[in-house]
Amino acid sequence: METSLPQFILVFGLFFLTIIAIVIFWLITKTDKIKELQAALNKMKGSFNELDQQAKLIVKTDLELNKAQEELDKRLAGLDALQKASRLISTTLDENEIFERLQQSLIVDLNFEKNLVLVYDDKKTLNEKVVVGFTPKEVSAIMAQLETNNAIVKDLKEGQTLSSAQIAKQKKETIIDLFNVDHFVISPILTQNGTIGIFFVGNQSDTLTVTVGDEEVISILANQIGQSLENARLFEQVFRSSQALELKVQDRTRELANALEDVQNISKMKSEFISAVSHELRTPLTSIKGYASILMTDKLGAVPEEVKKRLEKINHHSDNLVKLINDLLDIARIESGKAEMQMSAHNVANMVENVHDLLTPQMRDKNIQWAAKIDSNIAPAFVDSSQVERVFINLVSNAIKFTPINGTISVAAKQNDGMIDVAVSDTGIGINEKDLQRLFDEFYRVDNEINQNVKGTGLGLSLAKKIVEAHKGKIWVTSKLGTGTTFHFTLPTEAVKKS
Amino acid sequence: MATTHIGIGFSQEIDNEIAARNAAFAAKTQLNQDRIDFVLVLSTIHYDPKITLPIINRILSKSKVIGTSTAGIILADSIETRGIAILTITSDTIKFGIGSIQNIEDITIREEGMLLGGNSIADFGKMARQVFLYFIDSHTANNSLFLRGLQEVLGSLFPIVSAGSSDDFHYRNSFQIFQDQILKRSAVGVVLGGHTGVGIGGRHGWRPLGKPRIINKVEGNIIRTIDGKKASSIYEEYFGQEVEELRAHHLGRMSILYPLGIYIERSQEYLLRNAIDIRPDGSIVCQGDVPEEAEVHIMIGNKDACKQAATEAAEEAHQNLSGKEAKLIIVLEGMARLKLLGRMASSEIQKIREVFGPKIPIIGMYSNGQVFPFQAVERIKKPFFQNQSIVVLALS
Repeated sequence: METSLPQFILVFGLFFLTIIAIVIFWLITKTDKIKELQAALNKMKGSFNELDQQAKLIVKTDLELNKAQEELDKRLAGLDALQKASRLISTTLDENEIFERLQQSLIVDLNFEKNLVLVYDDKKTLNEKVVVGFTPKEVSAIMAQLETNNAIVKDLKEGQTLSSAQIAKQKKETIIDLFNVDHFVISPILTQNGTIGIFFVGNQSDTLTVTVGDEEVISILANQIGQSLENARLFEQVFRSSQALELKVQDRTRELANALEDVQNISKMKSEFISAVSHELRTPLTSIKGYASILMTDKLGAVPEEVKKRLEKINHHSDNLVKLINDLLDIARIESGKAEMQMSAHNVANMVENVHDLLTPQMRDKNIQWAAKIDSNIAPAFVDSSQVERVFINLVSNAIKFTPINGTISVAAKQNDGMIDVAVSDTGIGINEKDLQRLFDEFYRVDNEINQNVKGTGLGLSLAKKIVEAHKGKIWVTSKLGTGTTFHFTLPTEAVKKS
Repeated sequence: MATTHIGIGFSQEIDNEIAARNAAFAAKTQLNQDRIDFVLVLSTIHYDPKITLPIINRILSKSKVIGTSTAGIILADSIETRGIAILTITSDTIKFGIGSIQNIEDITIREEGMLLGGNSIADFGKMARQVFLYFIDSHTANNSLFLRGLQEVLGSLFPIVSAGSSDDFHYRNSFQIFQDQILKRSAVGVVLGGHTGVGIGGRHGWRPLGKPRIINKVEGNIIRTIDGKKASSIYEEYFGQEVEELRAHHLGRMSILYPLGIYIERSQEYLLRNAIDIRPDGSIVCQGDVPEEAEVHIMIGNKDACKQAATEAAEEAHQNLSGKEAKLIIVLEGMARLKLLGRMASSEIQKIREVFGPKIPIIGMYSNGQVFPFQAVERIKKPFFQNQSIVVLALS
């Protein structure tokens, strides 16, 4: 059976329509997919844009954080620099040194491009002390302007710190023009007496702004400079006063030294005079004593008893006079250094015992008790024993003289480092305070009843003092009226000789 | 026995002459050798090289001297933003060849890179070369082109390390030192070689922020459009400031803290680019080349990421020494890191010391742009120009 053309066209048409329908259906499906994808893409774009918005927020926050951190770093660096600068300038009292150290600190630590420290002198004129980043010409112009610009100087004199971070526009522009900077801090240098100078720091670069933190740091540093300058100036005053005082002391010392030299010369002349006179006196005195002795022996014929008594007195007084002359000669010799000490090691206990043996009869006459407390561990004294025994004899004799019947005399000795401390004590009448001071003077005798009845030369203690001092020792006395007296003196040991 | 002696001297005396003398004497004393083979001078711009350099040369006579100005000096124990640091080396094993190129012009910058490489190799002689270290005026327009010139002489895979001379963040006073000359718009370099080991590591630690954008139009180091808009719009959108305002005030700061980061396939880190200028038409001028159709982000850094980057850079340098003991570490860091870390800047050096030991001699500088071998698309490390990075160069 043959298919007719219309049938074929119908079948083909149906087929074509079916294909068209399928394509349309497929296209509709795809369009939905595209729409879905488009929607997803739009969503993604939205997310990206949202992400970008968030990123912008992050950047904004980050910028603020960076700025805050930079400010914090700057503050910390400023405080570090302040601490360092303060330490540097407060550890010197030299005004020039303060500025030198300040300059170092300003340049190395504070890092401002321009620095200027101006200080008023006695005539109230500004002087430059630290100049960094300005030419001499610029500094002169600035100083001239500051002398005339009352507004800025008035603020500074009132103690105000001015900074580009917070200042009225007009003043800001004036300072910017004057110092040729974009950012600045200018602070008065204050002391208790008011403003003594001006401290300026500034930056020309727009990137190096000045903050409130900088203002605080510079203000504190300016105060520190003021304080250091004040200290330096006070020190200078004290130093000058002390120098003047020192000069006066030197003058007085020189005068005293001259006076002392005069005294020593006079003393020497006196010693020489005494020595000469004593020698001259001793020769005729020996003759007088010799003739008196010969007469007393009746070799030149019998001498009546009355004459003999007088001759004995002549002899006795001659002995006293010889003793006096000998003492005077000894003192003169020791004073002039002519007396040669025969130094050697001696046991103090032995010396004390010798003296005790010698003076036992006198002590027995007054029933005086003797007590010797010589420390067994003391080193031998390095002394001229004959001279030191004279000291002991002198002191113990005096003690016997002034100690009443049944009293006690004690001698003690102990070692104190390289020296031996000796004390000779009695339970005598004691010496009043006034007499104590002159006790070792030549010819000085305490005015008391015993001395009035017992004759003496007044040279014994003086001689004892000279002997002790010739041994590099010291002698002194302590006493209480009615209780007793103690004479102390020191003697060297061999250890002292070696050292 | 093969020996290498290292001396490092530093001074921050106010007086130029005293500072130069103290630093030179300290470096010479620590070196304790009659012969000095190589001298590296790092100086902050507080010191006038016209005064300091003659003194340094007089004290360290007959040496090969190169140097640069810097925003900060890195020492083992401290970070100093004022001072002169001097490194002296005497070695039987390390050889040095120095060179310089002056008056770099933007148009011929690539040729000048080639010249510097040639000069330095000529001075070095025919020995085994290990690394090339150079300092360049960071105001030159396109450091990538200069690097490319160098690579044509030294080889594209040869290890090159570089730092851009810097100043006190004013971007106007940097200088370079070559023997007794003080140079501007110049580059000075040294080839190190001989029987020595070299380990190099570099990282930045900055992370991408916000949505990715596509750089549509680039001419070398100048980005014309991003996402079909003028390039500066990326900064305007984030910082809300118009181009003029950005140019006038905050570009330097924003650029170093928030550089552009270019995504590099298979790389561990983004390639960072500081914007050194925004032109009136909104084009961004970068310090180095930027690839077209690349994905770009604003980047952000933080202290922890910086410290982590320091550790990773030190570990990479240590690893590259292949077990040899390091005798000296030279650290080259981006100025932004000093800004970002502030008082904690020395914590990065602490991290390096943790890797190499507490007694390792360290000297370094804060620079404006760095070059170091960087693993990018090719899977092989090739020197690239980077910003904001910390580069650790270890010599054994």
